[in-house]
Amino acid sequence: MSKKALSKTTYQIPIGPIHPALKEPVQFEFTIDGERIVDVDVSLGHVHRSIEWTGMHRNPIQVLYLAERICGICSYCHPMSFALAVERVAGIEVPERADYLRVIQGELERICSHVLWAGVAAHEIGFDSVLFFTWQIREEALDLTEYLTGNRVTKAITMIGGVRRDITPDMVPRVKKSLDFLKANFEKLRKIYLDDKTFKMRTQGCGVLTKENALKLCACGPTTRASGVKKDVRLDQPYFAFDNLDFDYVTPDVLTGEVNGDVYDRIIVRLLEVKQSIELIEQCLERMPEGPIVSEPKIPKLLATLKKVNGEGIGRMEAPRGEVIHYVKLTGQEFPYCWKVRAPTYNNILPWIPMLLGEQIADIPIVAASTDPCMSCTNRVAIVKDNNRSYLDKETLHKLSVEKTRRLMQ
Amino acid sequence: MVKSLNKSFKKALWVYHINSGSCNGCDIEIIAALCPRYDAERFGIKLVGSPRHADALLVTGPVTRQMVEKVKRAYEQMPDPKAVICVGNCGNTGDVFYESYNLVGPVDNVIPVDVHVIGCPPRPENIINGVAKAWMKLETLETKK
Amino acid sequence: MSEGARLTPEEIIKSFKDIFKTDIKDDRIETHKAGSKKTQFTHIWMCIDRSAFKDAVKHLMKLEKYPHLAVVSGYDMGETINLVYHFSIYFSERGKELSLNITVELPKSEPEIETITDLIPGALITEQEKQEMLGIKVKGIPKDKRAFVSDDFPKGMYPWRKDETGPGKMVRNLHEVKE
Repeated sequence: MSKKALSKTTYQIPIGPIHPALKEPVQFEFTIDGERIVDVDVSLGHVHRSIEWTGMHRNPIQVLYLAERICGICSYCHPMSFALAVERVAGIEVPERADYLRVIQGELERICSHVLWAGVAAHEIGFDSVLFFTWQIREEALDLTEYLTGNRVTKAITMIGGVRRDITPDMVPRVKKSLDFLKANFEKLRKIYLDDKTFKMRTQGCGVLTKENALKLCACGPTTRASGVKKDVRLDQPYFAFDNLDFDYVTPDVLTGEVNGDVYDRIIVRLLEVKQSIELIEQCLERMPEGPIVSEPKIPKLLATLKKVNGEGIGRMEAPRGEVIHYVKLTGQEFPYCWKVRAPTYNNILPWIPMLLGEQIADIPIVAASTDPCMSCTNRVAIVKDNNRSYLDKETLHKLSVEKTRRLMQ
Repeated sequence: MVKSLNKSFKKALWVYHINSGSCNGCDIEIIAALCPRYDAERFGIKLVGSPRHADALLVTGPVTRQMVEKVKRAYEQMPDPKAVICVGNCGNTGDVFYESYNLVGPVDNVIPVDVHVIGCPPRPENIINGVAKAWMKLETLETKK
Repeated sequence: MSEGARLTPEEIIKSFKDIFKTDIKDDRIETHKAGSKKTQFTHIWMCIDRSAFKDAVKHLMKLEKYPHLAVVSGYDMGETINLVYHFSIYFSERGKELSLNITVELPKSEPEIETITDLIPGALITEQEKQEMLGIKVKGIPKDKRAFVSDDFPKGMYPWRKDETGPGKMVRNLHEVKE
């Protein structure tokens, strides 16, 4: 049978924290046969702000503040990876107390990010009240962030050689109070997401990523752990104080005993990670020793040291969405010679192709949201269908997803 | 921007949000403004899915080359009277991205702006304040007519 | 996950050198320490001639069935364009992962390299990015299109280059006040 000439139909997909109009641009092309998806193509770049080029024209301390604004949700991991890379090139030793403080801030950000994602996933399925409930829990975690660092979102707590703010002993009771609140609500979250019949119907068996595909396509983060691959930078190549702490890889068989690689498994992995993060923060508060929080408090001296350094290094970290890697090459000048950033979402986009093959259009929002793309996305999606050119906007696609839920609930 | 106003703004102000390449910090705070803690919805402020239903436009991000046309189109699709609120430092002055080869300047260069909300990211209370100022501006213009 | 026994970093470099001999121009092992227990972890850096590069990747896949390619970095050294491939192997066991960074030098007169997407499908987006940012050509890439830069960006301009094809003319300062 000869191939028909297919023309493009543009859809808009809501992915990310959504309240109808929240968007961020990414373009996908789906080829559809009837209601089933046959092929997917991705095109990125609508948020290209030439950050790596700009980094070659700023000194390392300025690059820290630039790196923070790469992504607002994982705004802690990018400057931290850059600081790790520079510390390895320059041979700067970080004091022990700073290592534990870095872990605490990182795990707090992981809690905020995963709870944000949980609200978004619920909104995709159609439960808006769950969105508000989870974001209310997130407000408590954000209050704690503001108490410790001064701001809710862009925290600016990184410094090359340590951190900028300390957690003094009189701040610890307040921290513990927030952690108790989060622990108490975790049970409620677990019951809503994992025991509810409708969630199970919508998410089990949907958007399956096999272990082999996850390995071949170099996926990272909870996406790949939900498919059974044990990959976590905090355990594989420990940084900060993680080699002192007791924890293990989080895969779905910890809770259910089996690994399916579907959307339900990804929800399990993320919720278990929230619990793990709370426990890690408690361990850190107990084990933190006394000492300085930064290796070189005077910034001009630090810059002068970095101007003489020659070499290249990489810094890898486990962000809430996956592995963040920064590569830095310093050549004894004021500015870095080369700076390469890789946000975790770019590795997690190629797995969308095997995940979405054979699924229905109404499942696109929840499957795409389950990999937690680091973009609040209303993605512009171009779908290649049989010669009809029509525009389906985000509202329609979101409506399709919600209608499917209502159908299943009857 | 303002032709003849026959809508009454004593009820709800519907808002359309467009992200022209931001890091999402401001977008998260906009959503947080609608959640139960800050609860902008009790004032009747609602996010809508299409610019044709909206009274005000919330723009975040420095405008990247790929998004210029989309921002302009969203602005043109909105019916009069309309207000444009630019949220976040990126759209106002460029913030840390002041030198770049892929950015088409602050939002001022693309569409006319009525209210500038600064901050990186601005707190949700600030965003609600900005929307309220835009609301008052539109109401003042209506009573003048 | 690796199937056979895990080699030490010195043994890994030796296994590469045994096969590729003079194509390996430079290698070093860096050990770093983390945390208070001072756990050691290793980064291996190697520089391989581009004619031997794809075979080197095939050899790597014998050590680890599915090596994880994190990203490909690239920079302009004046006469050559250097690409650094960041692999990591031996994950899934606590503290055992090794980072293997392979540098390949491409002369500016002929900046071409073979694709590795047939071996590691996850390399597609990062290879597309190098094409548009540095002006190299990846032979055999499945989908040749621009990943990040917009379609109306001028064609001969490569943002990461430091020579005359850099983005100099396109750079704008957003603080400028218009007359």
